[in-house]
Amino acid sequence: MRRIRPAVVITTLALVLTSACSPGSSTGSGAADAGQPVSGGSLTWAVETEPLTFNPHQYAQAKARLLVGNTFESLLTHDEKGGYVPWLATGYEVSADGRTYTFTLRTDVTFSDGEKFDAAAVKANIDQFSVEGYNPAVLAVQLRYLDRVEVVDAATVAFHLKQPDVLLLDFLSTPQGAQVSPKSLKEAKNLKFGGPDLAGTGPFILDRYTAGQDVHFVKNPDYNWAPSTAGHSGPAYLDEVTYRFLKESSVRVGALTSGQVQVVEGVPATDEALITANPQLTLSRGLNSGSAYSYYFNTANAPFDDIRVRQAFREAVDVDAVLKGVYRGSATRAWSVIGPTSPFYDKSLEKTYSGDAAKANTLLDEAGWTTRDAEGFRTKAGKRLTVRLVQSAPFVRDRRDVLAQAVQAAVKQSAGIDLDVALVDQGTATQAIADGAFEVFDNSRADTDAGAALGLLLHSGGAINRIGLKDPALDEAIEQGQASGDQATRTEAYRKVQKLVITDQALVLPLYAPADQIAASNKVGGLGFEPTAGVPVSAYNVWLGK
Amino acid sequence: MIKAVARRVAAGAVVLWAAATAAYLALLAAPGDIVDAIIGDGADTPQIRAQIITEWNLDRPAIVQYLDYLLRAVQGDLGRSYLLQRPVAEVIGEQILPTVQLALAAAVAGVVLALVLAVTTRGRWARRASSTAELVLVSTPPFLIGIVLLSVFSFQLGWFPVSGDQGWAALALPAVTLGLPIAGVLSQVLRDGLDRALDEPFAVTARARGLAERAVLIRHALRHALIPAVTLLGWLTGVLIGGAVIIEQVFGRPGLGQVTLQAVGNGDMPVVLAVVVLAAAAFVVINTLADLAYLLIDPRLRRS
Repeated sequence: MRRIRPAVVITTLALVLTSACSPGSSTGSGAADAGQPVSGGSLTWAVETEPLTFNPHQYAQAKARLLVGNTFESLLTHDEKGGYVPWLATGYEVSADGRTYTFTLRTDVTFSDGEKFDAAAVKANIDQFSVEGYNPAVLAVQLRYLDRVEVVDAATVAFHLKQPDVLLLDFLSTPQGAQVSPKSLKEAKNLKFGGPDLAGTGPFILDRYTAGQDVHFVKNPDYNWAPSTAGHSGPAYLDEVTYRFLKESSVRVGALTSGQVQVVEGVPATDEALITANPQLTLSRGLNSGSAYSYYFNTANAPFDDIRVRQAFREAVDVDAVLKGVYRGSATRAWSVIGPTSPFYDKSLEKTYSGDAAKANTLLDEAGWTTRDAEGFRTKAGKRLTVRLVQSAPFVRDRRDVLAQAVQAAVKQSAGIDLDVALVDQGTATQAIADGAFEVFDNSRADTDAGAALGLLLHSGGAINRIGLKDPALDEAIEQGQASGDQATRTEAYRKVQKLVITDQALVLPLYAPADQIAASNKVGGLGFEPTAGVPVSAYNVWLGK
Repeated sequence: MIKAVARRVAAGAVVLWAAATAAYLALLAAPGDIVDAIIGDGADTPQIRAQIITEWNLDRPAIVQYLDYLLRAVQGDLGRSYLLQRPVAEVIGEQILPTVQLALAAAVAGVVLALVLAVTTRGRWARRASSTAELVLVSTPPFLIGIVLLSVFSFQLGWFPVSGDQGWAALALPAVTLGLPIAGVLSQVLRDGLDRALDEPFAVTARARGLAERAVLIRHALRHALIPAVTLLGWLTGVLIGGAVIIEQVFGRPGLGQVTLQAVGNGDMPVVLAVVVLAAAAFVVINTLADLAYLLIDPRLRRS
């Protein structure tokens, strides 16, 4: 094998320094009172979402990441700028043809059940995905170009691909690519569910889970392989941490203000004032990576087969006003399908469209929607200008149903467009998508590499391309972005993608950048958000001040 | 006697089968199929679909799947949850105890409170005040009652924990929240029954024998008033099961309510079916108990 382009990842002091200023922003009068890090103590953390599974390979909920990250670790992790930093791997090399990725591994790592972490363990983890029914989605998406994994020696493992795919690195830095003890893979009673009988290499060990109530972790005293971005080295500060599942936001906030928990995750805009008004509490926000929460227009159906109607819909919404009304100024507006924290985000798209009611009306007049019915909606040949948005209730978060109503009111008032919003169960939603009985599809994805989200949502073969896009130019740009390891080439490819879907074809109305919020007692230090991913960090660097 | 018991058991079995079948049909008729439910809002390609179909044996005709389900259910195998990837029996098994605890505690709280209210508030003003309070309780959503109780007794006064493994202390607020609307309805039914019974000739006779008014009330009238209240036991079961869904969410308690909510929203058929069958079984048992309670309360029924 010829290795010309050694892309060995080197960490620098700068990375450690930048990790201190994550994409989060802190507000609240109670400045960090926690002082210097202290070891010991137990912390209770109220979280909104109870994970469907604790097996990292099955991970599908961004909100579960802070829990999964306590026990399981990946080969690489991200730095602030979206680059890769060694974790369980010490570095990697890419072959000239981009089809072989060779990783050198740490030799001092053991799983919490005593198993040694080595190349064979990595192979066992990846091979597990080929077991029928284990995780068909990962096999079909993230690992679709993987040919085989080769154990070169105990500390070296090679991934052979059928065609170049730089997103392999992203996969190996996410929870889904995390390393589970090979012994657990063989012996765990409920492997796909995970739980206490699944061992990882992380700084904490999951020792107790009560469904519907809480999950408890204890410190792994032998832990000594934190990545350079983690904030410190050696074992975690806390002796134990309990995550309590409190689904009601007002109950979470009440539990925090009354001192029953020290940290809460998920603070809706309506409750933020309760936190910021209290000098004993701090609030911080982190913007997620991946794609922005956006409306995707289904061009297969009328009236969105007409670009003028798509443009008119975007002009009819004053996104800033709508967001302010629903989220009271706590939401960050999105201008592109890619989230604003991504290195691929094209800033030049900002303020290039949207919010011009006069323009919306001119466009609709030109498109022939000139008459109005009794309710004030525009019509053409006796047919009302209706577009349908179907939302699946189990997946609605951040009050996106309320946001849809606000958009509905806006487009009606400013341009006479009828946005028909239906909030339904999952089965009905899937049926509507399968039947093409929708004109608007809403989605956001929390992939660390935004390119992964674009491939899924906008490529003709994408697994979440619900609006059925088949545009050769778009496909080509997305494929370029996925095949190259060169950041400049990728940025240029994704700039093309954004220009096509936002500017040229008006296929997407980006609304806001999803964010996570953490509120905590000011006695708690070390809280923050994962670099690049923007989701709350695990408890590794968290300490409880006296 | 044996015949009566056998008839009862057979009827119970028919009810369980009918409930399971009705739930099965309803889920079958609901839009979207099982593959859709498993995919959720995630990646969706023909390859992924094919794998899911093989994994869960979904390529068989619906009738075969139904018969297979019944056969397994009879043998005690409730299948595996699509969503949680664990055996249903295990999921239900570890969640049933907290819900039973909550339901029993709430029922006891509701019944005791109703009895006390109905018997003690006989005066004109006390009755009016109590009736108004009961109406307010019945018409307030349990969600709101829960939040108010939490803010006062947990967040402000700090007497009770919001949730979790703190034993009986953590059960108090949820049980009261769920018990209050029950007390609201039961006490009104009881009060009406007491009023009617006290106008009956036997009450006059008892008074004529020189019995104190309180004794007439508790020894004689209350027995009569209990009959319509017992009839409400079936309704009570429904309130307890339905209420548990909300109470468990508000208080972050483990239990079947959360499991059910998640299963229905995501089309997790094996779990929904198991919960339906379980609820039907609870109804059967409670109605049998109610029938026995009639015999206990009213000696006239024992003779016929």
